[in-house]
Amino acid sequence: MSGLILGPLVAAALAFTFPKRGRGMAWAAAGVVGIAVLSLIRAVLGGGVQSHRVSGWGAPLGIDLRADGLAVLLLALTALIAVAVTGYAAPYLRAADSPEARHRERYFWPLLLFLWTALNALFLSRDLFNLYVALELLGFAAVALVALEGKGDALRAALRYLFVSLSASLFYLLGVALVYGQCATVDLALVAERAPRGPALTVALALMTGGLIAKAALFPLHFWLPPAHANAPAPVSALLSALVVKGAFYLLLRLWFEALPVFHTPAAARLFGMLGAAAILWGSINALTQSRLKLLIAYSTVAQLGYLFLVFPLMTGRDGRFGAWCGGLLLLGAHACAKTAMFLVAGNILRAAGHDRIRELAGIAQVLPVSAFALGLAGVSLVGLPPSGGFAGKWLLLSAGLREGQWWVAAVILVGSLLAAAYIMRVMTRAFAPAVPGTWVRPVPPIMEGTALALALVAVGMGLAGSWFVELLWLGGPWP
Amino acid sequence: MPDADPRLYLLAGLALFAIGFYSLVVQTHLLRRIMALNVMGSGVFLAFLALALKAAAPMPDPVPHAMVLTGIVVAVCATGLALALADRVQALEANEETPAPEEPPSAETGSEPEDAG
Amino acid sequence: MIPQLLDGTLVLVVVALAWRALNDRDLFRGVIEFIALGLLLAMAWLRLRAPDLALAEAAVGSGLTGALILSALVRMRRREQAAAGQPAGVATGPWAKDRAKNFSRVLLGALSVAMLGTLAWAALSLPAKARGLTAEALARLPDSGVTNPVTAVLLNFRAYDTLLEIGVLLLAIVGVWALRRGEWPAADLRERPLLLSLLRWVLPLLAVGAGYLLWIGASAPGGAFQGGALLAGALVLALLSGLGRRLLRRGRLVRTGLTIGVLVFGVAGAVALGWTGGLLQYPTGQAGAWILVIEAAALVSIGLTLGLLYLGGRPGEK
Repeated sequence: MSGLILGPLVAAALAFTFPKRGRGMAWAAAGVVGIAVLSLIRAVLGGGVQSHRVSGWGAPLGIDLRADGLAVLLLALTALIAVAVTGYAAPYLRAADSPEARHRERYFWPLLLFLWTALNALFLSRDLFNLYVALELLGFAAVALVALEGKGDALRAALRYLFVSLSASLFYLLGVALVYGQCATVDLALVAERAPRGPALTVALALMTGGLIAKAALFPLHFWLPPAHANAPAPVSALLSALVVKGAFYLLLRLWFEALPVFHTPAAARLFGMLGAAAILWGSINALTQSRLKLLIAYSTVAQLGYLFLVFPLMTGRDGRFGAWCGGLLLLGAHACAKTAMFLVAGNILRAAGHDRIRELAGIAQVLPVSAFALGLAGVSLVGLPPSGGFAGKWLLLSAGLREGQWWVAAVILVGSLLAAAYIMRVMTRAFAPAVPGTWVRPVPPIMEGTALALALVAVGMGLAGSWFVELLWLGGPWP
Repeated sequence: MPDADPRLYLLAGLALFAIGFYSLVVQTHLLRRIMALNVMGSGVFLAFLALALKAAAPMPDPVPHAMVLTGIVVAVCATGLALALADRVQALEANEETPAPEEPPSAETGSEPEDAG
Repeated sequence: MIPQLLDGTLVLVVVALAWRALNDRDLFRGVIEFIALGLLLAMAWLRLRAPDLALAEAAVGSGLTGALILSALVRMRRREQAAAGQPAGVATGPWAKDRAKNFSRVLLGALSVAMLGTLAWAALSLPAKARGLTAEALARLPDSGVTNPVTAVLLNFRAYDTLLEIGVLLLAIVGVWALRRGEWPAADLRERPLLLSLLRWVLPLLAVGAGYLLWIGASAPGGAFQGGALLAGALVLALLSGLGRRLLRRGRLVRTGLTIGVLVFGVAGAVALGWTGGLLQYPTGQAGAWILVIEAAALVSIGLTLGLLYLGGRPGEK
């Protein structure tokens, strides 16, 4: 468990000190983290939930780490995406041998490794204050990576992102203060034991939730996401959409289902459900009207995040509980892989065409067949066609909704999928149109196309590995 | 001197948080907004320390104290990062107003000369 | 009676000054009020019996943050004047006589007041006598390797927080360097040999003082952060006077100094893991020595990071 944090953290420090070794450090960290994740999965599958008392004290005085099925799943997902981005970023950053390109490459690696450290720390920690530090680490790294693009729009988007991220963190932290004042602990499990229903914890949970939904870009606090995700360098956009927003969502799950489940009332759950549904519709409609490919993908993220929040209303009953949980997280995993693939393809298109205006992208399939194929496969998962992970996730959510008698969930999922099909088709029809001479000016290295395809294949194949997900998610989840 | 009333400082902390939040949203100047974030943070720290004083037997609770120290350091890091970013954005906007910029936009990037070896 | 009066006045002034600092029409005056607010907050920390934090707040919260904002203000003003001879769009305050704007401000004001009311309602409902973790912390203090409870929490009980926090410090400087090239303050102290020779005395003293704060932090208010803040102050003085520039040009050396905190802390964590089986779990009876080594490395990184933040970017030729 410790290697998951120490590995990328030390690598980040070394990558900064020795700039020419940045990529090597990223691969070294990938090796350490890969081994650590695999052995952790084995330990969890074999021996159940794994815990670790940092410094040997244990909560409430010390900080506890805990790896249950959910945490392990997200750690593995993070490792997969981070490795793919590491492979993709090296040729992406070496596009030109200009001072700007060298500058970007120099700072990309340490920032990527910090981001990885923060995500691993976030998934393992059981301590509300420690999670605050991890959130700040995550936010700083994400903002600095967006700003790395260096253009005006990226800088403005990064600044807005930073303001949202910092104020959201402070809302969260004030909530932590109230929790500590009430429970005299910030350990998730101990808070659950000591939590009385009352104004202090109600307001504390509201503060923390408010901060985290801003970080998770849930409608209507999604406004910062499209510019930040669309203007960042392509590998960074992939990381942000696939993982960073999911970190905040993950923490919301921990708060509402483990630390303070007494507050998970039907009214609160319905509010989450309504916001999720609004996000699906609003994000999809906006995706349909975008003229730039990266903005379309970013709005699609806003929509796809909405599905995750449907887990909240579906977790109120007994029958659909586990199905909804698995469906939401399967969807999270499938979206992470599909969205990474899409942003990487967008990066390839930007490289080849010099722009990402959808109207002028005729002939992707001719010039970049692998990328076009990857885009199509990722689209299959986003829309939710079988056998993709997107299909399996939506199916589980749908059947949980029907079992709970919440028909509106089915309606929202259906409409959302139709809209997704429409915006994916918009891009694909351009992709298969005959190429206009002079559009495609630069070649794309095969590894950049291959990485995107690999992730798209994972997204599509994830539906077939659904039973493995279910087995893992059962371990240590919020059920008796 | 007897101990202060923790509730007084707790309320002051919450007031700073609200003032900071209001100013963050309403103000447009980047420096004011960065200061507003700092004031919000100070409000949270004040709340933490007031709560620590409530558990003052025989001394205030050291755990929130350590948390606030961590928070102060994180806050100054955030300020440094935000100022650097705000400066870049403001430079852009100043450049947009004058058609002929003094320095090319790429002057902000580029490799460090001292790293030749 | 007198203490209550003092607390009441302090709290009122703090809240009023916070409002003024953020809403003063004159931005420069606002920044000064912001710095004064930091000093008053340090007094509040003293009243809340948090001398460790009073030290940190005065040095970092008020001093360094104020210096950072002030120098950014000067830089922005200079650029605005160079650009157009008139304030750029970004500098215009919210003082436009715009009805829609005024309406949204009233709305947000009402919202903030409602939020404050809700927060106060929640905070006043908290138990009057909190349990806290004082008893637990004091019970474990003899095993922690230090006698200052705050240092024990920072570097032993919750050392993992501090490890990530040192990471945040490094990340901040990496982010700032990725964004900008720093600007050396105009050095005009070379023409003032008396001041310069004074600084040559003061700077080493400050560095020694930082080491002393680190050492004393084991048993009294102080520690790596307070020491680091002092070191940062020395570094800012050195930057302002043009001393130590040649040292700062040595890129790898500076970068090593910036990262040594994370590296030593991380390696110590890994070694402790191999030794005792627990991340950052120091071997029995040796905690004091381990903490001192980690703190010494952290002190260097904290001081360098905070001091170089003042430069506002990576050091380079101009």
